[in-house]
Amino acid sequence: MNELFPSPAAGRFGRRQKRERGARMPVTVLTGFLGAGKTTLLKRFLATPDGAGTAVVVNEFGAVGIDDTLLRASADQTVLLGNGCVCCNTRSDLQIALRRLVAERERGAIPDFRRIVIETSGLADPSPILQTFATDRALGEEFHLELVATVVDAAAGKATLDWSAEARKQAILADMLVVTKSDIADETATAALVAQLRALNAHAAIETAVNGALDPRRLIGPHSGERSAFVAELSHSDGILSFVLSESAPISWNTFARAMDTLVALRGADLLRVKGFLNVEGCSGPVVVQFVQHLAHPAVELAAWPDGERASRMVFITRNIPERQVRDLFAAVRALAR
Amino acid sequence: MSASPLTQIPEPTTWNFKLLAQHQLDGFGGMGEGMSISLTKDGRRIIWLAHESAPKNFTGVDVSDPRKPKVVVQTDLPQSHMRSNSLELSGDLMAVAYQTQKTGQKPAGFELFDVSVPEKPRSISFFDCSGATSRGVHQLWFCDGQFVHMAAGAPDFQPSHPLDDQFYRCIDVRNPAKPVEVGRWWIPGTRQGDSTPPPPRHKLDKGYRAHNTNVYAKRPDRLYLAYIDGGMFIVDISDKSKPKPVSHWTNSPPYTGFTHTVMPLFDRNLLIVTDESTENSAKDWPKLVWILDNRDETHPVSIATCPLPPVDAYKDRGGRFGAHNLFENTPVPTAWHSEDIILGTFFNGGLRAYDISNAYQPKEVAAFVPPAPAGTPAGAVQLNDVFVDEREIVYTVDRFTGGLYILEMDF
Repeated sequence: MNELFPSPAAGRFGRRQKRERGARMPVTVLTGFLGAGKTTLLKRFLATPDGAGTAVVVNEFGAVGIDDTLLRASADQTVLLGNGCVCCNTRSDLQIALRRLVAERERGAIPDFRRIVIETSGLADPSPILQTFATDRALGEEFHLELVATVVDAAAGKATLDWSAEARKQAILADMLVVTKSDIADETATAALVAQLRALNAHAAIETAVNGALDPRRLIGPHSGERSAFVAELSHSDGILSFVLSESAPISWNTFARAMDTLVALRGADLLRVKGFLNVEGCSGPVVVQFVQHLAHPAVELAAWPDGERASRMVFITRNIPERQVRDLFAAVRALAR
Repeated sequence: MSASPLTQIPEPTTWNFKLLAQHQLDGFGGMGEGMSISLTKDGRRIIWLAHESAPKNFTGVDVSDPRKPKVVVQTDLPQSHMRSNSLELSGDLMAVAYQTQKTGQKPAGFELFDVSVPEKPRSISFFDCSGATSRGVHQLWFCDGQFVHMAAGAPDFQPSHPLDDQFYRCIDVRNPAKPVEVGRWWIPGTRQGDSTPPPPRHKLDKGYRAHNTNVYAKRPDRLYLAYIDGGMFIVDISDKSKPKPVSHWTNSPPYTGFTHTVMPLFDRNLLIVTDESTENSAKDWPKLVWILDNRDETHPVSIATCPLPPVDAYKDRGGRFGAHNLFENTPVPTAWHSEDIILGTFFNGGLRAYDISNAYQPKEVAAFVPPAPAGTPAGAVQLNDVFVDEREIVYTVDRFTGGLYILEMDF
């Protein structure tokens, strides 16, 4: 509908935003194995000035949350935590919980919160949560998944990663990995864990938190500028392949969309996470895109290139889709589109 | 609603705005709908604010540092039976409206000031609108240094109904010492002696009276005229002595009238039209911000309204809840301009910003609902007007005691 009332200040993706999340509510997903130390980390964060005004959604029944008594509270109830924070728990319907929080805030029934942390734990694959923000078009327009943080226990983490596919998935999908309890694990074990994490996830920042002590700003995003050195085509026994496509020449949106449509149609289930900035023909700023399996988050154009350098950079985390095949697909679509 | 301890006192909201400062204007924080900025020769930035009612006339606040506003001047009205409520600036020339409580009272009209020395505003002239059938000027618009466009009464205008006593008048102030009327327009039938019969009264009768009279440098031949219970008109003023309506749009009935502001977005062929909520407890709900398709200016079509929180969450907080003023893309160098973001004030609904890049689906992107200001008789904040300067600093005012709030947009 934008074509009827075009605005010089808005591109094809709407108003150009100063930041990736625009006006949307930032969401952090905090995941990690049982006992890894998520709750300790979160409790410390909520007590800091940066943590003030956080709404926590505990997304799994039976998990150890902020306080056992809170989880015994009715699923309908939002409770106050102090420092302007609130908490609710939800067993299955994340959309309803998020919308209810926003509606309660709009009515002035709960303190004004400015970010949401979804705490999910145990044997949970975070993919469904990531998909929620793409599935529901309205959610994707109101909420911005800013950070996926995975907490891993230095003492027990390596063993868990070895036997649990879900734990590996939590690591693979993370933007940030927080290694806890390094004070009680021995150095060799911690180093082996970090190496394994790095093998699973080439891109996430890896932080260490002792007793939940982590710079609180690390739990609020975005972290996109801080990818660690890229290692081409990492692989793991799960068949996880992770690579970056970058190109300075502009790409037409049509080409990009068609190529991704094809990739998603043929191998959507194996596209674990795709994120990046695109240099799109006809757009003055970078276009931020994100896919989780079959689902695309709404694209957003930023007002300016972060470092002034105009170049597309897309991170692909796939299962058994090698970089060569994706490059070839884009090249073929580009050639045909001419 | 369940009796949960969480709902006893409504929580304030600050979402995607950052509050930089609040100033209660030395105990006189009841502000109207006149807000504009001048830049002094010594590099200071002064925002001029009209008070909503007596005893104060206008206040000048130094906002060079938006975090540290300072009152530099505050003036008094000569009489308690009058209010200014409206002012505008072109350069250092400021026009201030004077309206009286009853017809026949004085002074009623507008005054021109030179504010180049903000501590000492210098009166240049007074344009008298007083008369047996006039309460003076309710609202004025003055951006080009040449013409004051206003909603006013006149001694030679007898309305056919007592509530219809203000209409559009255009005053030439190119010689500021001697303002002279060059044109006027009213809805046919609202003046005694018109051949057209008077218009039918609305159920909640607020009158057929001019309100906002906006004229923009991009289309100096067009007046965007809000006419309270008369809806809105686009008027051809290429010949200022003979204004001619080009089109008319109203939402009432079935809505409850009080069309307040019409703001054109020229690049996008849109109009933003506001109602004013004038009854406490949202008795005249809904009072909305409307988006109109103006690709054919002879036939504007409404396509959307800006979303608001549920009325039952706000109507009992105290005072009014509903639309009123907008930031109007005032065509002066000290004002911001945007055709994608609109900001409006909603009384106890606070200040809200909307992304209208999809004009059919405006989205709220920011909200500021501060706590009830100290000493307010309303029981809640009543944000009354908003102005955004070219630095993108946002200024909003409370109608009773809150004074001036200064914010940054954070979206």
